[in-house]
Amino acid sequence: MRNDQLTLAPARGPSGPRNGRALPPWVSTTALLMPTYGWLTIAVFLPLLTMFAFSFLSATPMGKAPIVFTLKQYRAFFDQPYLVGIGITSLLIGFWTTLICAILGFLAAVALVRSTFGKTREMLLILILLPFWTNGLVRVFSWTMVLRENGFLDSLLHMVAPDAGSIGFLYTRYAIVVGLVHGYLPYMILTCYIALVTIDDAIIEAAASLGARWWTILFKILLPLAAPGLISGAVLTFVPVIGSFMEPRILGGRVGVTMGTVIEDQFTQAFNWPLGASLSFTLLAVVLAIFATFSGVLRRGTAA
Amino acid sequence: MTNVKVNSVAKTYGTTPVLADITTEFADGSFTSLLGPSGSGKTTLLRIIAGFIKPDQGLVMIGNNDVTDVPVWGRNIGMMFQSYALFPHMTIAQNVAFGLERRGIRGAEARRQVDRALEMVRLPGFGDRTPKQLSGGQQQRVALARAIVIKPSVLLLDEPLSALDRRLRQEMQVELLRIQRESGLTTIFVTHDQEEALTLSDKVAILDKGRIVQIGEPETVYEKPLTRFSAEFLGDSNFLTGAVEDGAVRLADGSLIKSTSILPATGSTVTLAIRPEKMAIASGSTAENSIKARITTVIYAGPVLSYHLETADGLPLKLFAQNRDGTVLKEGDEISLTWSAQHTVAVAD
Amino acid sequence: MKSLGRFYLIATLVFLYTPILVMMAMGFNESQLYELPFTFSTRWYDALWNNKILLTAGMNSIIIALITSVVATALGTMASVALSRRTFRGKSLLQLMLLPPIAIPWLITGTAMLIFFYWSGIGRGMHALLIGHVALAIPYVVLVVGTGFRTIRADLEEAAMSLGSTPVHAFFSVTLPLLYPSILGAALFAFAVSLDQFVISYFLATPGYTTLPVQIYSSIRKGFTPEINAISTVLLLGSMTVILIFARFAKPGDTRDKR
Repeated sequence: MRNDQLTLAPARGPSGPRNGRALPPWVSTTALLMPTYGWLTIAVFLPLLTMFAFSFLSATPMGKAPIVFTLKQYRAFFDQPYLVGIGITSLLIGFWTTLICAILGFLAAVALVRSTFGKTREMLLILILLPFWTNGLVRVFSWTMVLRENGFLDSLLHMVAPDAGSIGFLYTRYAIVVGLVHGYLPYMILTCYIALVTIDDAIIEAAASLGARWWTILFKILLPLAAPGLISGAVLTFVPVIGSFMEPRILGGRVGVTMGTVIEDQFTQAFNWPLGASLSFTLLAVVLAIFATFSGVLRRGTAA
Repeated sequence: MTNVKVNSVAKTYGTTPVLADITTEFADGSFTSLLGPSGSGKTTLLRIIAGFIKPDQGLVMIGNNDVTDVPVWGRNIGMMFQSYALFPHMTIAQNVAFGLERRGIRGAEARRQVDRALEMVRLPGFGDRTPKQLSGGQQQRVALARAIVIKPSVLLLDEPLSALDRRLRQEMQVELLRIQRESGLTTIFVTHDQEEALTLSDKVAILDKGRIVQIGEPETVYEKPLTRFSAEFLGDSNFLTGAVEDGAVRLADGSLIKSTSILPATGSTVTLAIRPEKMAIASGSTAENSIKARITTVIYAGPVLSYHLETADGLPLKLFAQNRDGTVLKEGDEISLTWSAQHTVAVAD
Repeated sequence: MKSLGRFYLIATLVFLYTPILVMMAMGFNESQLYELPFTFSTRWYDALWNNKILLTAGMNSIIIALITSVVATALGTMASVALSRRTFRGKSLLQLMLLPPIAIPWLITGTAMLIFFYWSGIGRGMHALLIGHVALAIPYVVLVVGTGFRTIRADLEEAAMSLGSTPVHAFFSVTLPLLYPSILGAALFAFAVSLDQFVISYFLATPGYTTLPVQIYSSIRKGFTPEINAISTVLLLGSMTVILIFARFAKPGDTRDKR
């Protein structure tokens, strides 16, 4: 075959099959992006902006009362000091939940990486993550079966010691924390696992060959290397926890008053939407501050 | 006639120029290697010829057609990628037939051409398999078959052998050369492997910082490097710097080095390049040039001995010697090196 | 050390699954007040069949999840094509804009939607729920499909174009077939996200139009019967099935191997 013969190939046009011209790329790019971002604007961004505006109103614009712009909703923390206490409760619940999740989750991730491999590991990972993607409400509800008086926990106890009293602690803050830990532990395990699984075995072998014992390996090697996973897991636990309301409601009963339940009440019981909006926005400010603080780690954590 | 011409092609990304005003021609049926370090612009040049990148200025001609504004899919090129880029969801036959289908060739005629292309790459009867079932080398052959079955005007190869192991790579080099000769396709081959470039090509173009610093037949480029960069990038070189004096070069230590190269005006500074294998250890009779040096490192590589040396001025030198009689010099030995004026090439810095 | 690690993992699984299993078991217990000893009975499941309110809510949930899945997958896949394969200015901002629906507590997003939908006249009910659910599912779709894109080398499309395909033809003949598993996975994921969504639904539902989780919540608050255990079990098993099917398409937490 020579080239002059090759040009006899039935190509369309002198230089190839089709001289089709595409639209300018920005046209199709915009067309591809428009529906998604239009939708998000209507469903998320405009609502957040509207809520921000609402938080400056003097009352819910439903009745006949005249509406004026005011900062009073943001003064609520000073006018109604009990809100400060509730805020602190929320932060404490968030703190303990995150801490317990971090410890349990990190250890579980270490165990996954160091004690399992292959199909077993894959299956364990799926089993751990499975509850995370099921209905949170149902999982919280299921804890009431365990923690209530004469619940599953008590039944277990009475099998060992039939005369013992009740150790059920439903409707306490401990119950709230247990339920929340149960909800977010799988996520913490996942983020720590993703950070740990990239660690080369040789690093640990090198440390061991240098005389490091297991606790040195755990604290001096695995913990620092898992830090990005731990931090992103902690942020992504803490943030939803301080915004939670059904867990405190169901597991905390009367003691389960948190920022989340107070905000819920403003919208479903008290119908003080401006106060609810200002509280929501205060919460959002806290959330955004946390994200801003850890944005570097989060970006690396999710890119890992 | 399907030669490829690029005329004053330039490309800048942001403020970094990647290609600066390249003008060259790839002759009909020739095999040209674009050789250079990463970042030299060799891949950019190939992708401009392919049409994946639009040059900021200049023309690309394939045959007699100006294709500068023709998109990739209208250029009738055959391209091989570093990763093979076989379509994993298609069989081998479907892969090879893909380009034919785009040209309206279907059915029995397509099958006939696919079979012939697979025969050409020595994979007859592999049509029903999937890429996953093939080894790396076999996938590479399929990629080649897919690129040539459409009878492209030009075959563009983007480091297609770099993912293969050494033995397989050498096998594929032979194969590639055979198929290129048989098909007579104008071929442009990007590589950073100098040996590969020398073995395969009719012409080697050496790129540095977005420019073609030298283009020519492999022997010419190797024996007569034009610049210090091409002397260094293609093979090894020793460099001596001195002032031109009486048609020769006076080094700092006073010795006079002769060269058959055309030297600049008397008094100007010039760099001379000498290949390490062109030097010999002086024993009695000496060639035109000689220099004294002390051995610092001895590398014994079986058939070849390679010595690292240092002159009294601290200038590092290399010497490759055939292992003829099994004598190996020792570190610290003072020796005299000798070489001819014909192998002393004046290069630009 | 290895056996200690395995023991710890088993303990973790026990912690994660005990309440769920207890809850499920209680749905099969005769006693209305969850009293032991355990007496097997399907009376709560029988009662479920006659509970129009729960069944309607369940049906609503499934319909909303189906529509959400289709719409979010279509929209999210389109956006993912642009975000994965195009270069343009402001791309990182657009990627950042996908985060609020996932990262901001749903309580905030939900109450914000309630305010905006009320104020703008969109109102509450099925259409409002759909707007909210699709918005929450889109980022997950973009994420899952984007991960799929990363497993497909860009040079496959280039190879197709070098053989004569226009970009559109290259996308439909090469990229899309390879992307199907990811798109299907994303659709399943969007379905699960919508099916399990409670917080947003809670604020956007009306007394006449609720979803299953909203109905379960109000039942729990009113004082519950094992009927709730029964419907919860069904919901849980349903979403677990969807997620397990999803896991077959895209292994969660194990995406790096495919890149």
